Amino acid sequence: MTAQLRELFPYLADYRVTSPQDFRYNCVAWAAGTGEGWWWPGHGFDWPFEHTEDESLSTFIRAFNTLGYEPCGNGTLEDGFEKIAIYQSSYGEVSHVARQLNSGRWTSKLGTLEDIEHGSPVELEGDRYGVVVQYMRRSSSGAGAQMEMTGVTNPP
Amino acid sequence: MLREDLSVSVDVQREFDRLAAEWKRDTAHLSSPTMIARHEAYQEIVGMGLVAIPLILRDLQKGPALWFMALGIITGESPVRTGDRGNIEAMRSAWLDWGERNQYI
Repeated sequence: MTAQLRELFPYLADYRVTSPQDFRYNCVAWAAGTGEGWWWPGHGFDWPFEHTEDESLSTFIRAFNTLGYEPCGNGTLEDGFEKIAIYQSSYGEVSHVARQLNSGRWTSKLGTLEDIEHGSPVELEGDRYGVVVQYMRRSSSGAGAQMEMTGVTNPP
Repeated sequence: MLREDLSVSVDVQREFDRLAAEWKRDTAHLSSPTMIARHEAYQEIVGMGLVAIPLILRDLQKGPALWFMALGIITGESPVRTGDRGNIEAMRSAWLDWGERNQYI
């Protein structure tokens, strides 16, 4: 699988696989701090935010707003904050969301594949996910930190 | 069953298997249903119409895969309970139950 990941994401260098492949959750749920559910607006999937079938970037920003995140300028580790990165493909579609860990490294659920820990959001940029178009941050004393501490971010 | 019918069926199954494998390989890293369903092989399977339903359901019997958009488009049905949306295993079970009830599998 390592070879496959490097084929998919040629900039991926500083990473490790942190879970088996799993269909039960996707990148959005994982970025929000849970290992259960395929979260996406519309298409009959779960979207545990304001109901919409609009898949635009603004929908994802509003969703993470409700989790306490506000837009910020970069993915640099900041004391007292946790961050996410939202990616958009070259077609202008949201393609992926990654979440920063307390260490400053990042975690991503790759579709139906594994979770990985990676050094930088840039490592997943390229033909598959496009580029990071929005960073967001929230106080690390928020709900996400509580979920991380109680192990919700570690699916079985 | 006529031999001719059987040979067509085998051809259709072979073509479905080829398209399904290509689609799964190329979209496994994606989370967006729009991007997953846009894949050319997926669209070809959708274009097969009702013929694809038993093939999709038999594939779904083997394990989870995001066939739900194709099933919904082809059949016009939505057997997944609102509370089960996003629960891939429950969505899979709902469609397999639907397939049995409607004698596709």
